[in-house]
Amino acid sequence: MKYIPPLSFAPVVGTDVDLYRSGYPMPLNYSFIKHQLHLKTVIYVGDKDILPEYKAFLEEESIKFHHIPMKSTKDPEIQKEMETVLKLVLDVNNYPILVHSNKGKHRVGVVVGIIRKLLLGWSMTGIYQEYDLFTGGQKGDIDLEYITMFNTSINVPLDRLPDFVNFKNHPNETHEKLAV
Amino acid sequence: MSAIDNYQDEEEDDIVCVNEEIETGHPRVTILHPPNERIVPPLNFCPVERYLYRSGQPSNVNFPFLLNLKLKTIIWLANEEPQDALLEFCDDHNIQLQFAAINPDGGEDDNPWDGLTEHSIRNALHTIVNSESYPLLVCCGMGRHRTGTVIGCLRRLMGWNLASVSEEYRRFTGSRGGRILVELLIEAFDITSVEIDREKAPNWLLTALS
Repeated sequence: MKYIPPLSFAPVVGTDVDLYRSGYPMPLNYSFIKHQLHLKTVIYVGDKDILPEYKAFLEEESIKFHHIPMKSTKDPEIQKEMETVLKLVLDVNNYPILVHSNKGKHRVGVVVGIIRKLLLGWSMTGIYQEYDLFTGGQKGDIDLEYITMFNTSINVPLDRLPDFVNFKNHPNETHEKLAV
Repeated sequence: MSAIDNYQDEEEDDIVCVNEEIETGHPRVTILHPPNERIVPPLNFCPVERYLYRSGQPSNVNFPFLLNLKLKTIIWLANEEPQDALLEFCDDHNIQLQFAAINPDGGEDDNPWDGLTEHSIRNALHTIVNSESYPLLVCCGMGRHRTGTVIGCLRRLMGWNLASVSEEYRRFTGSRGGRILVELLIEAFDITSVEIDREKAPNWLLTALS
């Protein structure tokens, strides 16, 4: 039995919860996804149509599918789209999650970059380097600028926040968590 | 209050604000901006599986990042010792540093450009298939070829097809690309020579083996 992970597959977070990234899963990848990842949620941020066999696979495995098409970081709706993705990622009940685009490079790279920055506190150089690993150094200046400039204010239930979200540096963390 | 004052007030808030809904028994948080203190991942850092990570040699700037991973073991894939700072860091935080020499019999003739031996790959894999060593970081100088060899052999052990193993290996090899000798070494590695104690194996490995 050989497992064939989707293109550009990698874990993004593998601690209390599992968050994965990849390109568009093809039928030859379904066995890997089914037997290895046990997904509860798939977030597709590309703009292609959903293949009928993919739709059937997701339904058969009872995987919740969220299609949030992002054209590019210049998409007028990008802020709203990104916040929708973040809200799904910030809900522990949605895990294990796979976020995928078409090739698993640019669009997923931006989503992962924002998770690294906002939720984990990674330095920008670390984020750029990870983005480059998956794009193979292909140009992504606009994407990187978007990650750098990204700002948000999203409100989510505290008790559903996954543990990997880094509150360590927040002075009142224990205080506020105990108050709950 | 001017718009600027408003902005500054917001800046003083931290990442978490528990808003008034706490009174209704449904506490919520508002995430406004990143944690104040930034953490810096080591070169070529990437998660491999749950609580298993790969990277290049961590240096001082990466230590706060490593602390977040709560590592129990670091596998260092080289003959030479890592920087003193890393040795001290491991000492101070009770992290077991395991040396998996490139070629333990090479002595003076040992060449850092040579790949790992079957023996050293197996050594590293024996630690990786034992969940008692987790959380675990596998690293070498740049996190490219030696780390890539060990992770590649692990992927074969997990039943990945060879093209996917190579895709992952090449992702980390930088502008000069992958080395064919490393890929041959991964392909030729005898995965049946790795003994796995099912009682101690990480769950993701058991899933892959079943």
